Amino acid sequence: MKKKVKKWLEDGTVDLFLGYKIDCGHPLPHCFTREELDDVDHLVVGETRYSLEKIATHLAKKDPNLKIGLLARDCNQRAINVLTIWHQLDKEKIFPLNVNCCPSPIKPQADCSYMSGETAASYKLQVGIDNAMDIESADAFSDREKNIRWMYEFQKCIKCYGCRNICPVCFCAECTLEHKDLIGPGRLPPQVPIFHLVRASHMVGRCIDCGLCEDACPMDIPLRLLYRKVNTITMDIFDYNTGESCEQSPLSLLGDKVTLSLKPM
Amino acid sequence: MKCTFTPSICSYCGTGCGVLFETIDGRLNSTIPMKSHPVSQGKLCIKGWNLHEHINSPMRLQKPMVKTFGRFINTSWDEAIQITADRFREIIDQYGPDSLGVLVSAKMSNEENYLAQKLARAVFGTNNVDHCARL
Repeated sequence: MKKKVKKWLEDGTVDLFLGYKIDCGHPLPHCFTREELDDVDHLVVGETRYSLEKIATHLAKKDPNLKIGLLARDCNQRAINVLTIWHQLDKEKIFPLNVNCCPSPIKPQADCSYMSGETAASYKLQVGIDNAMDIESADAFSDREKNIRWMYEFQKCIKCYGCRNICPVCFCAECTLEHKDLIGPGRLPPQVPIFHLVRASHMVGRCIDCGLCEDACPMDIPLRLLYRKVNTITMDIFDYNTGESCEQSPLSLLGDKVTLSLKPM
Repeated sequence: MKCTFTPSICSYCGTGCGVLFETIDGRLNSTIPMKSHPVSQGKLCIKGWNLHEHINSPMRLQKPMVKTFGRFINTSWDEAIQITADRFREIIDQYGPDSLGVLVSAKMSNEENYLAQKLARAVFGTNNVDHCARL
């Protein structure tokens, strides 16, 4: 892997390579360059994940001609696909170096259990939604119970915007969650459940199920489950698997092979 | 194009969450929570997430200012410290040392807090030392 990165940097395949390096005892993202080629010996694939593709979009925004290589787990690769579809990254200028990663419904086989997460405490199990729950058991509650349980989760929100800030596929210059007419400023908790449902609806056809949002949530709201649920809708109705390829935009589906006859939800 | 990542500690409160500053070409671009940090474990509140916002703000004060005749005027550090010391002296002479108080912070190091209380007790001569977390 290190050899390949060195070769890429040397022969000019990439200008920069985003990977991880141990710094102050922590595996932190690091930008490897041609000038500091020996640094590549310290490249690691740690257990921690950062949204390297989001950093790549920042770099691409500054210099669209920059050729960026990056270490890509499956989730990173899916995010790169989505970002390419939405024209945030140029397919010709991004060079992912694939490494093994965590399991997800999109990829069942994996050898990293980083995302298996903590077990919920008894109170959360009783009144809220267990983060490790699958869609079927979360759907199995009665409507009333579902409402109460989700509202319990949502009203914990401290409006840190962490879920949006860390999200690799959130790139809009203007965010609905900051629009004062939709989400009133200065209120805590934010208007629930609108705050979370607005974000959830924006995740349709975009969420790549990386779980970074849930990871970054200080209040342990089961965001991954929520976005996974909304994404099953695009899967069921449009047969569109988000992040699977970088060829097809969700917008191009409309009117092509989709009948638009809504299935009962 | 140079992109660096600098690990740091959030400067807003005493919790001390780990943050990572993303700098592109010498300009602070964003704040990322440090995933492996033992205190925050990759989580931040809204203040921590926006640490980078004020650094590049044109509104940021970069020089000491002294209020003279109701207006703030730029000055040098030496002069600013001298004016502060003179006013402290004036107040102590007129109303006694207990008319002053020192407010320290959870976000300062032990050494800085020690120096602040030393200033209060040994220089001003007051026991009025308090802490922002008790406000």
